Amino acid sequence: MPDISVTIGMQQAWLLPAMPVVAFLIISFFRKLLPREGDFLAIIGMLGILLVTLFIIVDFQGFFHDGEFHPGEANVYAFDWVRISADNFLFLIEFSTYIDAISIVMLIAISIVGLMVAIYSTGYMQGEDRYGWYFAVLSLFVAAMLLLVTSGSLVWMYLAWEGVGLASYLLIGHYWERQSAAEAAKKAFITTRVGDVGLLIGIILLWKATGSFDIQTIIAAATSGQIGETYLTVAMLALFAGAVGKSAQFPLHVWLPDAMEGPTPASALIHAATMVVAGVYLIARFSPVYEVVLVARDVILYTGLLTAFLAASMGLVASDIKRVLAFSTISQLGFMFVALGVGAVGAAMFHVLTHAFFKALLFLGSGSVIHATGRQEVEYLGGLRHKQPITAATFIIGSLALAGIPIFAGFWSKDEILHAVSSYASPFVYIVLAGTALLTAIYTTRLVLLTFFGDPRDRSAFDHAHESPSSMTLPLLLLGLLATVSGFFVFDAVGNLFGFSGGIGYLVYLHHPHSFHIDWAFASVATVSSLTGVIIGWVYWHGGAERAIKARTWSPDLHALLVNRYYLDELYQGIINRVVLGLAGIVAWFDKKIVNETGVDGGAQFIGYFGYRLKFLQTGKIPNYALGIAAGILVLSVMVLARA
Amino acid sequence: MTENDGYFLIALIVLPLLSAVCLMIIPSKERTLIVGLTAISSLVMFFVSVYVFMAYSFDGSTFQGVKSYPWVENIGLLGENGISLKVGIDGVTASLVLLTGIVVLPGTWVSWKIQHRLKDFFILFYILTAGVYGVFVLLDLFFWFLAYETALLPMYLLIAVWGSTRKEYGAMKLMMMLMAGSIPIFAAIFALFAEVGLGTFDMEVLLSASKDEDFQKIFFPLVVIGCGTLGAMFPFHSWSPDGHAAAPTAVSMVHAGVLMKVGAFGIVRLGAQMMPEGALFWGPALVALGITAALYGAISALRQTDMKMLMGFSSVSHMGYVFVGLGTMNVIGMTGAVLQMTAHGLMTALFFLLIGAMYDQSHNRDLPNFSGLAKQMPIWSVFFVFASLASLGLPGLSGFIAEVHIFIGAFRSYPIVGGLAVLTAAITTTYLMRALAQSFFGEANPKWDSLNEMTWIERSGAAVLVAAILLLGLWPSPWIDRIAPSLSQIPGLMM
Repeated sequence: MPDISVTIGMQQAWLLPAMPVVAFLIISFFRKLLPREGDFLAIIGMLGILLVTLFIIVDFQGFFHDGEFHPGEANVYAFDWVRISADNFLFLIEFSTYIDAISIVMLIAISIVGLMVAIYSTGYMQGEDRYGWYFAVLSLFVAAMLLLVTSGSLVWMYLAWEGVGLASYLLIGHYWERQSAAEAAKKAFITTRVGDVGLLIGIILLWKATGSFDIQTIIAAATSGQIGETYLTVAMLALFAGAVGKSAQFPLHVWLPDAMEGPTPASALIHAATMVVAGVYLIARFSPVYEVVLVARDVILYTGLLTAFLAASMGLVASDIKRVLAFSTISQLGFMFVALGVGAVGAAMFHVLTHAFFKALLFLGSGSVIHATGRQEVEYLGGLRHKQPITAATFIIGSLALAGIPIFAGFWSKDEILHAVSSYASPFVYIVLAGTALLTAIYTTRLVLLTFFGDPRDRSAFDHAHESPSSMTLPLLLLGLLATVSGFFVFDAVGNLFGFSGGIGYLVYLHHPHSFHIDWAFASVATVSSLTGVIIGWVYWHGGAERAIKARTWSPDLHALLVNRYYLDELYQGIINRVVLGLAGIVAWFDKKIVNETGVDGGAQFIGYFGYRLKFLQTGKIPNYALGIAAGILVLSVMVLARA
Repeated sequence: MTENDGYFLIALIVLPLLSAVCLMIIPSKERTLIVGLTAISSLVMFFVSVYVFMAYSFDGSTFQGVKSYPWVENIGLLGENGISLKVGIDGVTASLVLLTGIVVLPGTWVSWKIQHRLKDFFILFYILTAGVYGVFVLLDLFFWFLAYETALLPMYLLIAVWGSTRKEYGAMKLMMMLMAGSIPIFAAIFALFAEVGLGTFDMEVLLSASKDEDFQKIFFPLVVIGCGTLGAMFPFHSWSPDGHAAAPTAVSMVHAGVLMKVGAFGIVRLGAQMMPEGALFWGPALVALGITAALYGAISALRQTDMKMLMGFSSVSHMGYVFVGLGTMNVIGMTGAVLQMTAHGLMTALFFLLIGAMYDQSHNRDLPNFSGLAKQMPIWSVFFVFASLASLGLPGLSGFIAEVHIFIGAFRSYPIVGGLAVLTAAITTTYLMRALAQSFFGEANPKWDSLNEMTWIERSGAAVLVAAILLLGLWPSPWIDRIAPSLSQIPGLMM
């Protein structure tokens, strides 16, 4: 292996996006000719990514000593993409790749979940229309996502950022014959684009202040105090707007629940494990700068907190199994932003990693349920553990991780976040976040009980249900393993085992590397809280179908508020219909009536009318003309005489 | 580019004219011959355009491939080299010549299915093409204006005879407005001639000669109004939606794809290059007009239902970006403006090609009448989605690289305008995505089950444009390396 790793290392990170791009091109053009519409090419591409990621990790170890990452030339690869130069002036957009611990955490999540989803999809999407196209877009997505996390230049990161948005659009709208899917794809694209307005403005503002698009140059300039604080705050908030859109944070979270219209494995990869954490990645990438602009960091903290709580509360009542998971994703992303908001980058990236595994597992598990029953409303499920033992077992593992039950991955990362919050933020933040963790345990328990326990509520769906093929259960088992053990990455010993000094907190948190010490008193409070949530959930939802229905009679008004997602979707739709389209109507009317009919046509009509009146002067009668000549002579004579 | 490459520039004008003359001789019932001739001639023009673009590389001189043939001199007001047939290009025109070559090729292909007076259509179409090439390569203002008018006049007949919907109205309105726009240009040209006072229309001489600052401040707005009318600049844009809606496919393609750029190019050549101090003075006004147009066009487009009207307003909005870029008077913004001319030319040509491919069958372009078109015309829909993505500025496609330069240029001097310009891109996304969700996806409307997929000719034409959009989007440096150095020679330009 060392021989190859000399040639493949961090400098060759461009290989990561290149491989799936090739897969995308071959599949999209030749899928009709290829056996199995070329799905194997997507899988080969993912395997290649996993391999290159391993080489990169091996190479990366060499840059990590004394507990800190020492970037050097070798982790950067660059060429000029756009270059405008004149005397004393250089406008340069480079293509460059830059790898550090934050990218590597993302690479691990993308490569593993990507491979699992690709394998799973061969079973899930079997026999569907546009099977090959699905794999092509999946490859395109992975390519863009890898470019996003390896790019050293903000412009190329933006390119990849929009690229994952495009792939997400195409996959949400994969079943475009359904109007709801078409609408959901549109909503996702437009909503994230609203955030991207901020992102692009932020990028340009940072360029204006530093003259560079290179992320490391910008960070160095911003942290050295070259940029005025107000200016920098505006720029960093603008960047955060992009993160809010992409990571579905309040107030731009509305697209993610609707995005569940897409195929479930795609939701697992894009709308749970990778794309939606792009915002977290962006903020983590710029974390040294956010330490300078604390106002912006507070905005991140409270946005994350509000989102975490709101989404968890909506997750309590959602009936669609995928939507519950979508709300849960929004809520968990909120947790990550809270961590970033208190400066705990290590905790945030750790949660990115564990969340990628357990949430992908949950989505794939829900896909297995949907595949088997054709149903996705929990009211019509139940008792499936008898029919789908592997799915049920792995889904429960994922749920335990999500609920934050000890030893499972989510416990460690959530604990890290809560711990950071308790030390750096006000008790209020901690209380709300801990309360949200309780809610998480409740809705997770509800989901598991309603899906896999109790009596089946739709007999025919239940009777047809069966365990999914091994192409689907194998990824479930592997992700189940990771959802159990990936939390151990937090321990120094595990880090040392992989050749890094220290655990993930040491690795990622560049400026204040810290080692993980579990505070058992603190952790037990969180554990008790999670267990309480599970118990509340069990008390409420164990048993038959009536309980599921009865829950909503507890407080109909509150239930209605939550089911309608705080009426935010209606509010936005109202704003678009009334305000935006209303304004557009006024402008269109102005253009039609004032500019066109009055200005242009009116001008033409005026000239036409003028000509029409004037033509009567030409009578063809000589006396008339003679009168005109006489009058002219008279006027002229008077003028001449007057001058004389 | 060597001096002898100037012959290729002359060829660019002669080829389409020669084709038009040959077409006149061919009997109109010989359709095969007409198709064959236009196929060869458009392909040759395409390759010559590509060659001219590739051969050009900035070497410090203002113009390259300069060839001059004196015509009238030392008579009356005319002095040495009074009027001469002179050709030559700089980086800006090199990229616009390439654009013309790319757009005319598929424009020719999709016109072969015209049944009514095919021969006459192509005669006019190629005279128009010759005029467009002339505007880009001619370096004598007298002939430049001749070429400018030659590019406009065939438009009237092309729309009035071969158009659709309100074709007489559209053709008349377009022609009246564009002719009115020619008047200030005409005035500005003679004013330049008089101001420099060397008795020559030679643009190289006029460019380097010193001009009074007040003169520049007075005549720059005339150039902007005149050329801006052709560039569909708010508030002189209203010929554009109606004209496009009425025009036949190839004419819409060439008109939105290239002719509107002739207008914007006029502002570069006659305005910024000839009267830099005027441009510096009026730059903020141009930026204000541009951003108004960008927002105004995009917001109006939200309420359009006719596909061609939608594209017409979209063009107003996208051309607004060009004026913003030109008004910034810094090298990044202006480079972005010239890139946007190419980018917008390519994607609008693609849009009009696609709309034509459907309209010819359905005779209906009203978006609410359609649903689930992706089922009935899958390949066509893929192309349309691609064109929409290019139009909304998806990175990796041509629109983005142009827009990002314009945004950056705007941000350097006018941050608020820059912010509004970025916001406009989000509005563009909204109207295009709404159209796609409404008419292209969802359940198919059985009324249109009879629609056929695009023909292979149309597919090839669309593929040419798609390839160009991708090339410019992913590898923009061949364009930027030609455009930016030429523009940076403008005196007083902010770097």
